[in-house]
Amino acid sequence: MYPIWEVPHLSAGIVLALIATFHILPSHLSVGAMWINVYIETKAYRESRPDLLEFVKKYTLLLLVFAYVFGSLSGVGIWYAATVANPRGISGLIHNYVWGWATEWVFFIVEVTGIFIYYYTLGKVDRRTHLKIGWIFAVTSWITMVIITGILSFMLSPGKWPETGGFFDGFFNQTYWPQLFLRTAVMFAISATYAVAVATRLKNDEAKRLVIRTASQWGFAGLLIASGALFWYLKALPEASIGLMGMIVPQGLKNGIFAAWGAMLAYFLFARLKPLSIKLVPAIAAIMVLFIGIWSTERTREMIRKPYVISSYLYSNQVIGKDIAPKGVKAEIARINKEGILRVSPFVPDGLREITDGNRLQAGRMIALIECSACHVLDKTGLRPLPQMVKKLNLTDAAVAGNILTALGGFPYMPPFAGTEAEKAALAAFLVSLNK
Amino acid sequence: MDTGTMVKTLQDPMGIPFYPILFQFLMVLTFAVHILFVNFTLGLSFLAAYGSARGNEHWGGLSRSLAKATTPNASLAILFGIAPLLFVQVVYDPFWYASNVLSAAWALGFIAILMLGYGLTYVYYLKGRPGRGAGFGAIGLLSFALFLLAGVIMHVLGYQLLLPEKWLHWYIEGNSVNASGTSLHAFQLPRFLHFVVPSFAMTGLFLMLYAWYFKDRADRDREQLAWVAGTGAGMAFLFTALQALVGVWWLFSLPPEFRFFRDPFFLVAAGMGVSLLFYLYRARKDPFRYAVPSSIWAFLTIFAMSYSREALRMKYVGRFGYSIFDHKLNLDLGSTALFFCTFIAGMFIVSYPVYVAYASGRTAGQYTASPAMHRWGSAGLALLLLWIAVVAGLGIVISVKNYL
Repeated sequence: MYPIWEVPHLSAGIVLALIATFHILPSHLSVGAMWINVYIETKAYRESRPDLLEFVKKYTLLLLVFAYVFGSLSGVGIWYAATVANPRGISGLIHNYVWGWATEWVFFIVEVTGIFIYYYTLGKVDRRTHLKIGWIFAVTSWITMVIITGILSFMLSPGKWPETGGFFDGFFNQTYWPQLFLRTAVMFAISATYAVAVATRLKNDEAKRLVIRTASQWGFAGLLIASGALFWYLKALPEASIGLMGMIVPQGLKNGIFAAWGAMLAYFLFARLKPLSIKLVPAIAAIMVLFIGIWSTERTREMIRKPYVISSYLYSNQVIGKDIAPKGVKAEIARINKEGILRVSPFVPDGLREITDGNRLQAGRMIALIECSACHVLDKTGLRPLPQMVKKLNLTDAAVAGNILTALGGFPYMPPFAGTEAEKAALAAFLVSLNK
Repeated sequence: MDTGTMVKTLQDPMGIPFYPILFQFLMVLTFAVHILFVNFTLGLSFLAAYGSARGNEHWGGLSRSLAKATTPNASLAILFGIAPLLFVQVVYDPFWYASNVLSAAWALGFIAILMLGYGLTYVYYLKGRPGRGAGFGAIGLLSFALFLLAGVIMHVLGYQLLLPEKWLHWYIEGNSVNASGTSLHAFQLPRFLHFVVPSFAMTGLFLMLYAWYFKDRADRDREQLAWVAGTGAGMAFLFTALQALVGVWWLFSLPPEFRFFRDPFFLVAAGMGVSLLFYLYRARKDPFRYAVPSSIWAFLTIFAMSYSREALRMKYVGRFGYSIFDHKLNLDLGSTALFFCTFIAGMFIVSYPVYVAYASGRTAGQYTASPAMHRWGSAGLALLLLWIAVVAGLGIVISVKNYL
């Protein structure tokens, strides 16, 4: 167990979620934008419409700055946040998927050099060459999604990996294909939404009309295909995740997905019919609506993974829950129950390794920090605060609190308590002490 | 629990999918490329601001070009930072994670600071015009300062990693812990300077390359280019000399029991550094001719220095019985092959746009590609489609086998 990073009121996990949420905006733009761009650029050359190149230039600049400054860095930011919020989680992923990420990085090289060269050579190299660079960039960007989808879907549904330990068995898991289709379809809707916003800034009305019409068609089609892929995805989900969907995913998130989907379909339809009536502010509002939809979907995906951070392997509190025999990895629960969490974790004050009457509450707090703080802050307010939960349950008796801790493993979304009986009693005493 | 046991306890039980020496080599190689672009970014952002403050004919003209050049260099620094960041977590996982969590707020602050610094380079480049005044020039300087601050944080994270014997002292306070992650715990000035000073030497080389690259373009001012080349050569020599002094300072500040001055990696790197210094001394006489060979030699020196840094890290962690070569091996040849095949294909694919950029920058007016160039581009695109076909085919076979 590594040290814990405690973020008052928020929790480290929420910091990670906030960065990941922001990252959605530029990252989905970056994978999809070039398809629209290359299409419009081709049209500009074929139909001798140089006015359309104004869009290409503006849209590429948006891509360059927004996706490759804030998108690239927030992507690394997710990684850093995962490092400090759940080091064993990210370590487990990296030790399985290092070559997957390294492969992704090769395509990042093509992507990053591609965007700069595409932007700076527009009008400075012959058309055929410029389009070729655009196509290479477009296909490469999409491939980065092909790869990252394997790792993201693995975290939720590791497929045959727990039995075989095979890289590709985990990568091409049961939710891989529907998720790839879903993300690809949504990618077109997202880049279309940005394209409409950029097009509102064009000086030439003819160019504006054409770009908005094209983009809204792409966006509308993308959303329709996405709805089919979503049903496929839901059908492919592991049974436990489907159970959690009904149990712990708030109705607000589900409403967010469907309301955003409906609103965006209507928006694209309207934009197709009356392209010139779309102005910048509503176009940015549409990006926000889309963002709510994606945020709701991604949060749902995170929630239905509980109680794991890597399904069938690592609990959200970083305790290894299951053996991974082909990798020679043993579950830790039994050992921790025998030796004690305060003894097996290096980052524990020596004065707390042995529980006494004098240090019981401090030891209890330390256990809560290690085992609970990933999902429950210890402050009075914030993310699922422990003090509020014990008040709601009206816990005044340490024995009752201990029984609840014993029963935790039976809840489908909670990891079991890991530790000795004395540690359980210390945590129970600490929980009861919060009920003031 | 002693420090050695603690580090062993933290190590990921999953093992690693290929021999550690390969991860180490890739880590060092990609770090060398990363630090090269970090050096360019720091030096260019500083010189762009300095140039606009000087504002004379030479510097004023150059400043805009340097501001423009800062942006792709920053992107390449980030891009090539990803790979060593990945590989360090494979072979030094206990050290990297502990160091980061202990200064978690700073680790994330690093990202925010970079975003701001990088964002400002675009403001500085896109909105910059001659005569915008000192206030605007401050934006350039601020972006340099933010990049430097990011460097401070990364230095601390990299240095704390080497001191596992101090981790518990930093975290534990009596019977409770300080889990705020808001402190930076260790800083070593000569080590930090050894990463920063070369920024100005390497930027000197960048200026030499810049002048060499544009020298055959008829629309470029020869006199200005000669001035750029001469200034660059002077900078490269001066700051390499300074770097040698900082290196000696760092060497003397290391724990004496390492006897690092006898380490073969160090001796090779130091020897290359000294020979680079002599070479740069000569380069001042004809910077155009020396631009390319000195840059190549400088990069090889950086690569050797990076290996030397790794040898030093092995000494630090070896104090607690840790060796990356003791990692549990769970060999996975399939994914290893996926990476290497993709890497070879990727280098071929990226060579096309890079060559187009190189050729078009050397052409006054529009560059028109030859039929052979078009075939090169088409081959790159075809290779991408082939990659998709192979991976999708593999995915279909595995999905059918596992789920149907």
